[in-house]
Amino acid sequence: MPPHPASRRAPAAARPQRLLAVLISAAVLGGCASFSPDGGFAAVEKTAKDRLGKDVQWARSDADQDSIAKRVGELLSKPLTVDDAVQVALLNNRGLQADFQDLGVTEAEVVQAGRLPNPGFSFGRSSRGDEREIERGLHFNLARLVAMPLIGRMEARRFEQVKGRVAMSVLSLAADTRKAYFTALAAEETVRYMRQVKQAADASAELARRMEQVGNFNKLQRAREQSFYANAALQLARAEQAQRSTRERLVRLLGVWGTQTAFALPERLPDLPPSPLELPDVEQVALAQRLDVQGAKQAAEQTASNLGLTRTTRFVNVLELGVMRNSSNEEPTQRGWEIGLELPLFDWGGARAARAEAVYMQTLHRAAETAINARSEVREAYTGYRSAYDIARHHRDEVVPLNQRIAEENVLRYNGMLIGVFELLADARTQIASVNASIEALRDFWIAQADLDMALIGKPSLAAAAGPAMAAEAAGAGH
Amino acid sequence: MLSRRKMLGGAGAISAAVAAASVSKVAMAALPEPVIQTKPDTMPPLVPNTGRPYNPVVTLNGWTLPWRMNNGVKEFHLVAEPVVREMSPGFKAHLWGYNGQSPGPTIEVVEGDRVRLFVTNKLGELTSIHWHGQRLPNGMDGVTGLNQPGIPPGKTYVYEFVARRPGTFMYHPHADEMVQMAMGMMGFWITHPKGKHPLIDEVDRDFCFLLNAYDIDPGAATPKIMTMLDFNLWSWNSRIFPGIDPLVVRHMDKVRIRVGNLTMTNHPIHLHGHEFLITGTDGGPTPKSTRQYEVTADIAVGQMRQMDFLADEEGDWAFHCHKSHHTMNAMGHDVPTMIGVDHRGVAKQITKLIPDYMVMGERGMKDMTEMEMPLPDNTAAMMAGTGPFGAVGMGGMFSVVKVRKDQKRGDYSDPGWYQHPPGTVAYEFTGALPDPARFKADVSPGPGSMPSMAKPAQDVEVKVRKPAGGHSGH
Ligand SMILES: [Cu+2]
Repeated sequence: MPPHPASRRAPAAARPQRLLAVLISAAVLGGCASFSPDGGFAAVEKTAKDRLGKDVQWARSDADQDSIAKRVGELLSKPLTVDDAVQVALLNNRGLQADFQDLGVTEAEVVQAGRLPNPGFSFGRSSRGDEREIERGLHFNLARLVAMPLIGRMEARRFEQVKGRVAMSVLSLAADTRKAYFTALAAEETVRYMRQVKQAADASAELARRMEQVGNFNKLQRAREQSFYANAALQLARAEQAQRSTRERLVRLLGVWGTQTAFALPERLPDLPPSPLELPDVEQVALAQRLDVQGAKQAAEQTASNLGLTRTTRFVNVLELGVMRNSSNEEPTQRGWEIGLELPLFDWGGARAARAEAVYMQTLHRAAETAINARSEVREAYTGYRSAYDIARHHRDEVVPLNQRIAEENVLRYNGMLIGVFELLADARTQIASVNASIEALRDFWIAQADLDMALIGKPSLAAAAGPAMAAEAAGAGH
Repeated sequence: MLSRRKMLGGAGAISAAVAAASVSKVAMAALPEPVIQTKPDTMPPLVPNTGRPYNPVVTLNGWTLPWRMNNGVKEFHLVAEPVVREMSPGFKAHLWGYNGQSPGPTIEVVEGDRVRLFVTNKLGELTSIHWHGQRLPNGMDGVTGLNQPGIPPGKTYVYEFVARRPGTFMYHPHADEMVQMAMGMMGFWITHPKGKHPLIDEVDRDFCFLLNAYDIDPGAATPKIMTMLDFNLWSWNSRIFPGIDPLVVRHMDKVRIRVGNLTMTNHPIHLHGHEFLITGTDGGPTPKSTRQYEVTADIAVGQMRQMDFLADEEGDWAFHCHKSHHTMNAMGHDVPTMIGVDHRGVAKQITKLIPDYMVMGERGMKDMTEMEMPLPDNTAAMMAGTGPFGAVGMGGMFSVVKVRKDQKRGDYSDPGWYQHPPGTVAYEFTGALPDPARFKADVSPGPGSMPSMAKPAQDVEVKVRKPAGGHSGH
């Protein structure tokens, strides 16, 4: 609402003490909005602590920056565990810091909204012969004053929303970091095993070369063994490429650069837990604690109260109140209120109410959708987690030991000259590939665990379900 | 040595319970009690105490079936059943056989004997017995469908005929015979001459065995019945060297060895140190005019040969099939030849991946006999036999004829290794080796019988690699 300058010709003699009283009363009316000591960060910190068991730090000063750098340096100095990686990302990811700044921006706006606009004051002096005319005017957005509690509440809710969003960023970053961590770690392990596969292929290629040299193999037999080698070299190159790109993804999430990127990952993925989590009431848990569900619920409540507001104060935003005081040196001071009132003559507010109702319904549907999606996502995440567990366990308890046993039996058969060294090496490649498949299954389990953790507290980014990997074994076997 | 077992007691019977249970007790009461053999050892000859006298044979790693006389008829009882046969120490096979062993017991009768054979089927399928080489009524020849219905599981059939012709015979099923013979169902039959025979000499020792072959995957126990030629276990009486007993004889003994072939290929059986005469075939004793001295007798599929010789040379004499694959035990037939391949570096690389890996075969396969390496369970090691001078490097169809001066008459026990008189063993030459004058080979290839149409584009340079000594470098 534009300030409505009220100017009247008035004789002199101003009374400033009265003006002060008006201002004070206005300030009291509006409530005194001010900056919180934590800038809204305490809620985010609490979320990180409660949901992740991790610290977040808002780098608002050089000192903050230094303490973050120190802590990150310590964490990066030893092989990075997944928890360390998450901690580093939460401290060091600049995107997250940028999100924290959102808190500052929003709080400033909230505080701004809670303050009265500066009253306008105008003073004029003119003389016409003997007559001096002093014109003084004080104008003030009264509507704002009246609406201030409402606006304050709305802004406070908006601040809450931003806090929620920033908290979500924290959780998403943690989940993304976990997934990137396991992917990068598994890729490193894969490279190690692919090197072994290539070593086996190397040995058979070299042996085949020597076999041909002394006349025990023909060109075809030698070429066959060398094609295994060529294939293994290709697989290794692919594995190394995957290792580099997955590591870079992790580097970005950790927000590290320069020498910090030389951090070490452990040798192996963490072991499969002895038993999977049993979460029979996974949907209830998710509905109770998911931030997006809570947010949708709050949005609905807020819209509802906004709707009520609109209904009861159809005219509130058209009400304008001005304080007016005119004084003249000739005449007694003229005082009074000047109220402009828009009459609901043509717009009874019905359209506005209908819109609000539609908005409210929309929010309700959104909230319902969020809840339905949350239930489904957490179910998907949980079944994904369970099957990833079963698959990883099957690899660990069945596939790998079976291949191990096959390898042992093949060595015995080699001892008895029942098979040759090339069959033995081909089998070694198969066995190594089975170990690698087991690593990948373990990686998928830990990623599924990260997805489940996320699905329980916020919207997860679940990977599109893939069909059963039929080709994997054939590709891994290498012969 | 011989253990008797109540058939209906069922104790220790490997056969399917269904077969045993369905043999009627009443019917069994009239039968001679079946005699079951539990050991694969060579049993002493069974000297007849009833019926006509004869000189008994010794079945290599086998035995002779006892009989009972019933109103002048020799009655035998054969039980066809699944058995576990120890083919060599530490390696047992799941076979089908007769009376506890495969091959079944040897049946010995005398020319002119009336023989009644009760055959009880304790297998899961029909069987029958064909009396290979016998003159007999057509309905007793045992070909299922042609001469008789098959003997159903649990039933006992009776064969009866007169052993007319003296000689060497076999018995085996003629019902599902591909399977039943691949599973080891067979046995020997000797008809001894009644009194003196102009073509059949009296001998001091008379050995017999069947040639048979199995394809049992290393670590498994049951033969693969579909195999036709690529067998991996070549056996005598379902035993493989070093699981085969030696043929122990006394110096100057007249020795007879009867061999029957029930494999799917021929076997040139070769005796060291002596010449022998083929004195009998499937058709009986050979005319003297046809006999010639041999050291190898090729025995074709389904044939029998009777070799006679005078054991006049003391010592431990090798006796084996001359197809060298038949003197090996289970081995891979697709294993690449590693002779002359330098393993330096590669071996180390492989050991990183397969810690138990050992280089083998780059000098030949004899290494196998010197390495003690773990094999799959229930597998007979290849060429595992060891003699007084080390590894014999043999397996399968290989045994030793032991001729000893001080061996007692009728004593078949192993006298141990031969003690060579001084100066009668090959020895190392320790003198100086002058460079021998060698014929300089013409580099150009010989003319051949016809000019060749196409020649290799390039002469391939083929080098002989000589062992540089030892497993150096790995
Ligand atoms: Cu042979």
